[in-house]
Amino acid sequence: MDIVVCVKTNPDLEMVRVKDRVAQTEGVPYKIGDLEKNALEAAVALREAGAAAKVTALCLAEGNRKAAEDIKTALAMGADEAVVVDDPALADPDEAAVAAALAAAVKKIGACDLLLFGEGSSDNYTGQVGARVAELLGLPQIGYARKVEAADGAVRCERSMDDMIETVEAPLPAAVTVVSEINEPRIPGLMQIMKAKSKPLQVWSLADLGLEAPAPVREIVSNLAKEQDRKHIVFEGTAAEQADAFVDALTREGVLGR
Amino acid sequence: MERVECIVVGGGLAGLSAAYGLAEAGVEVMVLERGDYSGAKNVTGGRLYLKPIRDIYPELWDEAPFERPVARELVTMMAEGAHTTVEIASDRFTAGAPQSYTVLRARLDQWLAEKVMEKGAMVVPNMKVDELLREDGRVIGIRAGEDEIGADVVVVAEGVLRLLSSAAGLATQPKARHHALGYKEVIELPPGVIEDRWHLNPGEGAAQLFMGECTKGMMGGAFLYTNRESISLGIVVGMEDMRRRRDGTESWQLLDEFKELPQIRPLVAGGTVAEYSAHAIPEGGISQVPRLAGDGYLVAGDAAGFCLNALVTVRGMDFAVAAGHLAAEAIKRAKAAGDFSAAGLASYEGSLRSSFVLRDLETARTIPSFMENPRLFTHYPRAVARLLESVYTVDERPQDGLVKKAWKSVRRDFLNVATVKDAWSARRI
Amino acid sequence: MPMKIDAKLGLDVFKLDKEPHIVIDTEVCNTVCTDDACLYVCPADLYERDDQGRMTVNWEGCLECGTCLICCDPRALSWKYPGGPYGVQYRMS
Repeated sequence: MDIVVCVKTNPDLEMVRVKDRVAQTEGVPYKIGDLEKNALEAAVALREAGAAAKVTALCLAEGNRKAAEDIKTALAMGADEAVVVDDPALADPDEAAVAAALAAAVKKIGACDLLLFGEGSSDNYTGQVGARVAELLGLPQIGYARKVEAADGAVRCERSMDDMIETVEAPLPAAVTVVSEINEPRIPGLMQIMKAKSKPLQVWSLADLGLEAPAPVREIVSNLAKEQDRKHIVFEGTAAEQADAFVDALTREGVLGR
Repeated sequence: MERVECIVVGGGLAGLSAAYGLAEAGVEVMVLERGDYSGAKNVTGGRLYLKPIRDIYPELWDEAPFERPVARELVTMMAEGAHTTVEIASDRFTAGAPQSYTVLRARLDQWLAEKVMEKGAMVVPNMKVDELLREDGRVIGIRAGEDEIGADVVVVAEGVLRLLSSAAGLATQPKARHHALGYKEVIELPPGVIEDRWHLNPGEGAAQLFMGECTKGMMGGAFLYTNRESISLGIVVGMEDMRRRRDGTESWQLLDEFKELPQIRPLVAGGTVAEYSAHAIPEGGISQVPRLAGDGYLVAGDAAGFCLNALVTVRGMDFAVAAGHLAAEAIKRAKAAGDFSAAGLASYEGSLRSSFVLRDLETARTIPSFMENPRLFTHYPRAVARLLESVYTVDERPQDGLVKKAWKSVRRDFLNVATVKDAWSARRI
Repeated sequence: MPMKIDAKLGLDVFKLDKEPHIVIDTEVCNTVCTDDACLYVCPADLYERDDQGRMTVNWEGCLECGTCLICCDPRALSWKYPGGPYGVQYRMS
């Protein structure tokens, strides 16, 4: 069984500073998204358990000039090969364009029995791409996977639902999107990082995939959070009095007791 | 054991400079950096003297992400309630190729690391080295976590704390007497405000040092460097003085008290604090420089104690770049001779001795002990203020003539046994 | 009013390890140490004595300057840099 893990690199959100309500991304390093690391870990664990033969990490360079460098983390974590689709036309793609490029790349990679994704990306978290790619490739898709097992031409997943755990099985090839409970991604050691350097890494353009530059179907008008003024109410008195006054105030504001 | 030709421990300016020179010459080199990127764990006051190193890697500096070329230098002597500032704005600081620039390390080091990678070196972030591996006294590689990697030569550019080299017995543990604590706030201000406040032409920068009250008589001072859209404002204080202090003063409060002074408040008004950082500074001078090369290793940067606080000029980053470069040169020679023993690497120390790095540290040999004189931080700032206050004061009494006023003050504060002794001990700084 | 030290530290990025990188041998603090230097040299004000008189350090907010280590003559501190992707990360400095 061959596994392809779709990974997205995005700015390390912890490192983004906000100045005058604008995110300062200059100099902020890119890294592989948290849930994508879970997906990678799941794939490598399947290979290490003998359930998979090869793990390929697939990444789109969405205007991130260093994706080919950043994807080496996936190789250091244990992926066998990496493919980067790097094209200026992917500078700010919407989910449809991302899914189209990924689906085309998966086809070009060829051997792919299990396609793994993070449930959502660390920056935008639209949670659409896994399902869209599955649809484009005509694959069954399992979301919110907290456990993945593959055997006898099928993938069996535990799905993390709000109030239950659902166990679902699908015939391979299939697509699975994972959540963070699935595992604790490894932090690669120096030796693994050094070995990653010599693993195969291919860079393709959209033209290599037979795709044209995507026409944007969405326009971001604003993504600023609504500015809210604080109420600046200070409660005096004993702890009990303060608590009562606090509850009263919250009730007045309509936050409590609706 | 996996091997590379050269491992550089620490991706700061010394380590990156060494790696750049080595990668350029085709030496297989791997830089191991603890931070998320080079610069993520580094702190500068803020200023790099570029002039001494401009000819090292001359192709690099034109595109370096410096903040502002320093056009205006200020030194402020702080007495209680009275500050005296000496200021010079010289065309010669900036004409043609400016001699110094204010910098922020996250930007500068990250940029240099990219240049190093372009030359073919590997720079590995988030990689802490846990041990220098030794065999029969020779450094043979490093251990990071569970991985041991061998190398012909290790450049130890691990920074001021020397955790690895002291654990390996290659250097002594840092002592309070020879170190200062530096810490600062980066305070955002619009460029136009910075230029108005420090009387700067657009794009130009100022450097201002303060001594006296700001450290409450302890060795050290305050500093202010103007960046493009912020200022770096901080305190340097000698660790020995600080820990001997028993009056309840906590180190971190010095900056707050400094910022609240009526003379300083207008400089920071309207600014937004954006970052708070701290670092130890090696201030022991040349007497505290450890052995610089041995079998299989070289030491550079803060780990080698290459830092010079000469009261009005404070240097370290230029030494780091120069030492890194000379380390690379020595390693190239050692590689050609196939000899990475102490003898094979000995040219490193020789070239440092004939370069400005050890020459300037040698010239300043007496400064660290001179600076242990507390009168420098108490009496003199006060005396200067008293002198100028006396000549500028007008009150209801009949006034002495200018010269008489000044002379009275000079006689009282500058002509006595203690100050003559101080002048004598200062003759060689 | 000056900014609180906690608020200043709040401007920095700290990536937290599960293990502390500073461990205090409080026995040494209480028997050998005479000056409690760590309480007032730390630029992040991380050291304090708890109500049982034990020296403690809020290592999570450590700026990794090493001042406490250098100033601790009795060697009560086992002090290492945080490993892996952990510890303070400066974005300007």
